[in-house]
Amino acid sequence: MLGQLITSGIAIGATYALMALAMVIIYKTSEVLNFAQGDMAMLSAFVAYMCLSTYGLGFAMSFTLALAFAFALGAFLEFAFLRRAKEPNVLGLIIITLGLEMMLYGLASWRWGSDQKDFPFPVSDFEVHQLGGGVVISELNLVTLGVACALMILLFMFFRYTKVGVAMKATQQNQQAARLMGIRVGRIMMLTWGMSSVVGACAAFLIATTDTLDPNLMWTPQLKGFSAAVLGGMTSLVGAVLGGFILGVVENLFGGYVSVEFKAVVAFAVIVLILCVKPSGLFAKHYVRKV
Amino acid sequence: MKKILWLMVLVFSLALAGAAVAAEVQGVTDTSIKIGQWGPQTGPAALWGAVARGTKAYFELINSEGGINGRKIEYFLRDDGYNPNRTKAIAKELYEQEKIWGFACGVGTSPGMAVMPYIIKNNIPWVGMATGSPHWAYPPKKTIFAVYPLYPDEAQILTAYAIDTLGKKKIAFFYQNDDYGKGGLVGAVRELKKRGMTLAADVPVEVGETDLASHVLKMKKAGADCVIMWVYPKHAAIVLGTAAKLGYKPQWMACSTLSDVALMFKITKGLWNGMIFGNFAELADSKAPLMVKYHKAQMKFAPKERWGVFFYAGFGFVEPMVEGIKRAGKDLSADNFVKAMESLKNFQGIMGPITYSAERRQGIKKVFLAKCVPATMEVQGKKITYGKGQRLSDWMGVE
Amino acid sequence: MAILEIQDLSMVFGGITALDHVSLSLEAGSITAVIGPNGAGKTTLFNCITGLYKPTRGQVRFKGKRINGMKPYKIAALGLGRTFQNIELFSKMTTLDNLLLGRHLHMKSGVWSGSTFFRRGSRASAEEIAHRQKVEEIIDFLDLQHARNRFVGGLPYGTQKVVELGRALAMEPEVLLLDEPVAGMNMEEKQDLMIWLGDIKEELGITLLVIEHDMRLVMEISDEIMVLNYGEPIARGKPEHVQNHPEVLKAYLGEESALEVA
Repeated sequence: MLGQLITSGIAIGATYALMALAMVIIYKTSEVLNFAQGDMAMLSAFVAYMCLSTYGLGFAMSFTLALAFAFALGAFLEFAFLRRAKEPNVLGLIIITLGLEMMLYGLASWRWGSDQKDFPFPVSDFEVHQLGGGVVISELNLVTLGVACALMILLFMFFRYTKVGVAMKATQQNQQAARLMGIRVGRIMMLTWGMSSVVGACAAFLIATTDTLDPNLMWTPQLKGFSAAVLGGMTSLVGAVLGGFILGVVENLFGGYVSVEFKAVVAFAVIVLILCVKPSGLFAKHYVRKV
Repeated sequence: MKKILWLMVLVFSLALAGAAVAAEVQGVTDTSIKIGQWGPQTGPAALWGAVARGTKAYFELINSEGGINGRKIEYFLRDDGYNPNRTKAIAKELYEQEKIWGFACGVGTSPGMAVMPYIIKNNIPWVGMATGSPHWAYPPKKTIFAVYPLYPDEAQILTAYAIDTLGKKKIAFFYQNDDYGKGGLVGAVRELKKRGMTLAADVPVEVGETDLASHVLKMKKAGADCVIMWVYPKHAAIVLGTAAKLGYKPQWMACSTLSDVALMFKITKGLWNGMIFGNFAELADSKAPLMVKYHKAQMKFAPKERWGVFFYAGFGFVEPMVEGIKRAGKDLSADNFVKAMESLKNFQGIMGPITYSAERRQGIKKVFLAKCVPATMEVQGKKITYGKGQRLSDWMGVE
Repeated sequence: MAILEIQDLSMVFGGITALDHVSLSLEAGSITAVIGPNGAGKTTLFNCITGLYKPTRGQVRFKGKRINGMKPYKIAALGLGRTFQNIELFSKMTTLDNLLLGRHLHMKSGVWSGSTFFRRGSRASAEEIAHRQKVEEIIDFLDLQHARNRFVGGLPYGTQKVVELGRALAMEPEVLLLDEPVAGMNMEEKQDLMIWLGDIKEELGITLLVIEHDMRLVMEISDEIMVLNYGEPIARGKPEHVQNHPEVLKAYLGEESALEVA
């Protein structure tokens, strides 16, 4: 049972990791916690569903369109709402994202209703591989793990080596100075939101496959993603992914050996504990500004 | 002196006129009767909102047949988003501004609980709330009539069937950690206790939970050969998927809230196959005359709706109300309506037999069991597999 | 010809006049200083020039082109660099990375070509090498070798100021605005900076506009000085002219700096 709990924990942790990555991307550039993250992803999953079921498009086409939609949605929300904030401060912006969350939720409920829908996916969650000792992992789990790790590496390279990635980092550390370096901060923010939205959408596709698709799809994953991101220090991509895995495993072990009833509390406990004990997260290189 | 006499005559006649006005019942005229309902059309429980739309189609059907005793029904449907505060505002608005006569159905335990005191205070007729909570009928309230069979009763029936008919020895109970889920748990424990047995495992799930691996492993480890579930459709889908992956194959059983078999088959990608579940209304493909008639009404009045159990439950939950109004005749005062309702004995529409009396406000105490089997149909030349219910039993109750 | 021209510039914040009809023109290759007591509007003037504020009235012309109302990144792209009074660096990056960000404007390659820079001989790779060379030159020029690979947030204050200057130089500006470049520096650092400012003007041919409270430095390096008091220009001219201007003495009276002037 131990082996299976850990394996299942890592598998579910990969979805947390993806949500955590999405949140970290936006936090890195603007220090804004995006509470609309989950519902942006949920909406993108609905768009994929619509392409697949209503218009009968293929998987590759549908997912590409939905990811393009996700990017446009993220960029649009930044451009149309967050940038319009007068004298923005971080708290105000966070509240704007809460408002966006409600808008997106309402939109999805209105457009697609709240009936649960089955989300078709080319990879099955029932095709399992034996890992020995009766421990199994499904093909979907492997794909999720792969996507999480691949996106982490891609994003890491992007922030480290590309001009735009470095400009994003600069924007987060000092917007004013970034502007004067000739960085188009507005564009950088749009791009950030677009990218984050795409990562979130990947998470939503994978989650909707084991779950059922309805407007509440991403509420819990968003919370878990946030918890994982806090665990990893909010700004570290590698930290976010490891945070996701750790949270998944800890949750499952807690559910398996301590109490299933209180398993849902683990993620909250992690947030509180980390913020109290080590607010910089487990993996972020801690840095104190000298005055 | 003569003046005073005239004055007395005037006062007397005014008083009489006043009495005549008082005898007139709010929301009722010779040609119409106003009935209201709340039901979530948005938000997390909107799946159940179909009930409220089903009622609308039912009333349209009745109006097309000339109404009840010559009165046509004016129906007011409001979306409360399953938010009890909004439900309260809606109840007040409908009763005080729209001047409705009574409430039909109403979706959800907590929205219903929120408005119950207001309804009791104003003596408003209310029939057929779409939930199996015991709060409506116990203790009995004068103008409130419950229809939906109670969750504990249903859980008892399912448990008894698992042991007696299927020969299962180790029963696990997988339930939502709230009033709804615990209502089922109580019934299962009660039935097992009668036989000197206990649950092999009781596994609660929080509403927000999405990862159920540890839940499944707990039931698997306990060696349960039958799992009864009292959860939302979402959790039912996740738990079946997780169990399939982990190679756990007990006999699954489910509450009547999960009896929309076509939907469940679809969202579980076929894993619903073989599920045994409780039913509070006839199966969707039932050939019972009333079911056929209602299905035709749906195609006529609400062609875009899916003919699922939640939709036609909107017909079934208000059948006794319509019958009560019919039996009350011309006088629709609360007292007379209650008397008419209390005369219903084994009244049956598309749900189980309904009986009320001076002491009894719980209409149905029976469910029947069905099993999910795959079926195929052709849509635009393509063969599609879907799930349908196969009846296993007659209406069964708890002795 | 004047490279930067400020004509009749006013800036009002909700009834408070921070700049009141300020005019100034900078000759190419000169050093101009803006002095005045705290709250005189000096930094506001800088913010108006670099596009962080939109002036209420008047205009700013850079190389004959009107720039007020333009976005900061566009103004920067035209060749106008700046440092800040309170240091605005990317504190969680190294000195090298900060300077490389100064090259941001000059980087041509976009996301896609930029992500393949490691392919030898590619255009992106040649560009990267050129940028790094430029940055290394600046590091040598400002003697920043010791700080090259350290997070700037952890460097001493004086060094951070130099890094900020270096980052501005990396932009290869034609006009450089320096907001209190020696504030918080020790004597030795001040001395170095004074020499570098001279070199920047002489060797790199960059026009400088400097806000500074250190009168010794101001008098020594400036070709022209403008004095602001409560947003109003009260004197303008050669250092020796300004030094003895009665209005200036009055404005500084009671101020610590007045002693230095006198």
